[in-house]
Amino acid sequence: MTTLITKTITKICIPLVILFSISLLLAGHNNPGGGFIGGVMFASVISLTYVVFGLKYIKSFFNPSWDKWFGFGLLLSSLTAFGAIVYGYNFFRSSIKFVEIPLYGEIELVSAALFDIGVYFVVIGTLLYIFKNVGEDE
Amino acid sequence: MDSFTAIILAIFLPFAAAIFIPLLEKFLKHRIGWFAAGIAFLSFALIGIVAPEIIHGHIIQHSIEWMPSIGAEFSIYADGLAMMIGFIASGIGVIIISYSNGYMSHKEDLPRYYQYLLLFMGSMIGMVFAGNTLQLFIFWELTSITSFMLIGYWRGKPASIYGATKSLLLTAGGGLFMLAGFILLHTITGSYDIATILQNPAIIENIKAHPFFLITLILILIGAAAKSAQGPFYIWLPNAMEAPTPVSAFLHSATMVKAGIYLVARVHPIFSGTEAWFILVSGIGIFTMLLAGFLAFRQTDIKAILAYSTISQLAYMMTMYGYTSYHEPGLGVAAATFHLLNHATFKACLFLVAGIVAHEAATRDIRKLGGLRKDMPITFIIASIAALAMAGIPPLNGFLSKEMFYETSVEMGHIIGGPFTFLIPAAAVLGGVFTFAYSIKLIDGIFLGEKHHDHLPEHIHEPPYTMLIPAAFLAGLVILFGLVPSIPIHNIIEPTTAGIILEEVHLHVKLWHGLTPAFFMTLITFIAGLGIYTRYDKIAAWQDRFNARYPRISVNYYYDRIVDGAKGSAKGFANFTQPGNVKTYIYAILLLMVILFAIPAFMMATQVFPANLNFDIPLYEALIMTLMVSAAIAAATLHRYLAAVIALSTVGYLVSLVFIYLKAPDLALTQVLVETLSTIIFLLVIAKIPQTFKEKIPKTTLARDIVISSAVAATVLVLLLNATQGIVSPFESLSYYFLENSVPLAGGHNIVNVILVDFRGYDTLGEISVLCLAALGVYNLIHSRGEGE
Repeated sequence: MTTLITKTITKICIPLVILFSISLLLAGHNNPGGGFIGGVMFASVISLTYVVFGLKYIKSFFNPSWDKWFGFGLLLSSLTAFGAIVYGYNFFRSSIKFVEIPLYGEIELVSAALFDIGVYFVVIGTLLYIFKNVGEDE
Repeated sequence: MDSFTAIILAIFLPFAAAIFIPLLEKFLKHRIGWFAAGIAFLSFALIGIVAPEIIHGHIIQHSIEWMPSIGAEFSIYADGLAMMIGFIASGIGVIIISYSNGYMSHKEDLPRYYQYLLLFMGSMIGMVFAGNTLQLFIFWELTSITSFMLIGYWRGKPASIYGATKSLLLTAGGGLFMLAGFILLHTITGSYDIATILQNPAIIENIKAHPFFLITLILILIGAAAKSAQGPFYIWLPNAMEAPTPVSAFLHSATMVKAGIYLVARVHPIFSGTEAWFILVSGIGIFTMLLAGFLAFRQTDIKAILAYSTISQLAYMMTMYGYTSYHEPGLGVAAATFHLLNHATFKACLFLVAGIVAHEAATRDIRKLGGLRKDMPITFIIASIAALAMAGIPPLNGFLSKEMFYETSVEMGHIIGGPFTFLIPAAAVLGGVFTFAYSIKLIDGIFLGEKHHDHLPEHIHEPPYTMLIPAAFLAGLVILFGLVPSIPIHNIIEPTTAGIILEEVHLHVKLWHGLTPAFFMTLITFIAGLGIYTRYDKIAAWQDRFNARYPRISVNYYYDRIVDGAKGSAKGFANFTQPGNVKTYIYAILLLMVILFAIPAFMMATQVFPANLNFDIPLYEALIMTLMVSAAIAAATLHRYLAAVIALSTVGYLVSLVFIYLKAPDLALTQVLVETLSTIIFLLVIAKIPQTFKEKIPKTTLARDIVISSAVAATVLVLLLNATQGIVSPFESLSYYFLENSVPLAGGHNIVNVILVDFRGYDTLGEISVLCLAALGVYNLIHSRGEGE
């Protein structure tokens, strides 16, 4: 599993896959994608590096606390849901806004997208947290 | 600021502050306690803002929509009763939290301590101002939970954990009975709203005549008795003394244990004026008062003496609230309320003294203590004031409310007549005698007599001012309320009593009443109390012998039996349902699936194989299917792990190809990713185990596996055939709704995603919460392995 070929390909893949995962996350509302898929995509490429280069080596320079990621995600999603209450609507009521950006054109801002970003972080955080803990276990 | 906002702030400010305590602790270090005390003071001041309005007889009511579907609102009902307990919770809160700054070592986990204290205070204030019964229940259980956290604050001590568990099981469990009572009350009245019930004489009449009257009353009283450690439920309070002493002073003498008394007072207008009320409330009160007062004798830990004393004193209040007659339903209300306030002052003070003594003399054992009056004269004076107030010595506040207790007992005895004319006052006096004896014991045992030099440190000195001033302040209140009773009476007791009996009251409380029956009862109390005090140690020794001989005459014995038994049966159940073998779980899941799906499918389908099956399959579809079938066969038969895993992944990837073909890109994408991820996990595991299947599978196991897999396959096949061809669903497909509304309502074209994050966002929130819990569960499983068994 740790041949030169896999190592090289993995290195090339990392930035591409991460960018793709972000684009899946942001495109999710109108095109295929979303927080869950984007998150799984992100988690797979990181776990691929764990497998190919070894957990110890990766951890020596890249070791985020994944528990904070899912904590943040859950907080963000919950706050989005609570946000509607602040404006006097029911829990979880979503809102849509169309905003004109110079040069780029019109974009759509949805409160549900924030919720989806929370899902994204939860999926990444939990999967990698589990992998890391299982991987570290002897 | 209007009154409603003030009360809402008083409730939620402690909650909000608790969230920020860990952050602020980074800057304030051990001074974080003063921040918490400041918050408590703010809550006190906020209640102070609304107090004048309530004292003038106005009841503040306001509600906002909360759970409209079941008719529950988030509402505030602020009358005198709520105000008084609110004042006690926040006021004693300020005192206790300030004191904690001196008591708690800076090495302790202070943020957690002050967080719990503030959360408790917020819950307590929220409970007393609750305007509907469901809201009251929620805050009620929150006080139980925060109390659990505080009793178990020292997590390393088994005794703390035992005490915390006991208190949670009994108080929170009692709360569930109370909830059942509230639901019955809703069945009778159709309302959860406290104001609606209290302010409507017709509704109250209806409750009293209803067949559910007695059972409702009993259920609510079980909740109250469990919370206030009355009757057989008293056993949790002595064990709760494992908490840090300021916590015992705050929760387990002045506030949380008063919640049960508060509940009794709150429902007083609904149930009082009936025989059942007197028999149940006063009955349990008198029983507990005598039992706990008597049992205090054999305690050697000064906190344990105080715990039994608290149980007995709470029983005083219970008894007085129970005094009732048809003509005067609220006979003992004023006396009980006054005693509630007085007890909060002198008992909290005594607990603070116990904390000071333990802090300076390093022991709480009354057999080792003694002669401390010279070393700590100020503490001695404070303790004497509080203990004498508890004993009922004039001119302290305890004397006044004990006089009122005697007066109302005589009245109640007259109302019932017969032997009770004497029995009820006699029981009251006996309770007073016990109280007198152990109050004297506290002062004598700790401060008087000779100092035991072999048990005590040589140099004992007064505590720091942060600990002394709060105790001195409470002692000052004890004297003030005793000498000038009109201050608490007019500002607190009268509005509170008016809130309970629902009419205006004017009380006249004086130190000297003349030669009334109560005066003679007090004289008897003092003389008999001194008499019993001379035999104190003999009675204690007799109790010890009795306990040793009859261990089964103890509620604790049955509590332990039940809890240990529950642990045993839980273990048996867990072993049965969780054998730990993955194969068994998969069997269970698959068999259940076969049963759940096959039976309805066979019942609803007109024929197992629909007649109009379409065998016109395009070439590429057939190709994918053929590949899938061969990959599946390979996965089941290959002998090398790696090959089997790759065959299995092939099946998964082919499925995603089918999704693409069926124009479901989202599903396809998800399938590809999940498949990739699970392949990676498999590869990770395979790296650590042998490359080929080593063990030989027995023929019987093989046969069983084949039967189960075939059954599952057949079920799924029949289900799929009928889902698309056979059964005409009685329900309209949901997907049309989402197709039509996805863009107008949620602004998204990707229906799958819109359903996940918007239409069914609640589900998703639940799912991601579960995901987080699963991750933490995995962490715990891995890291707890090897510990213990």
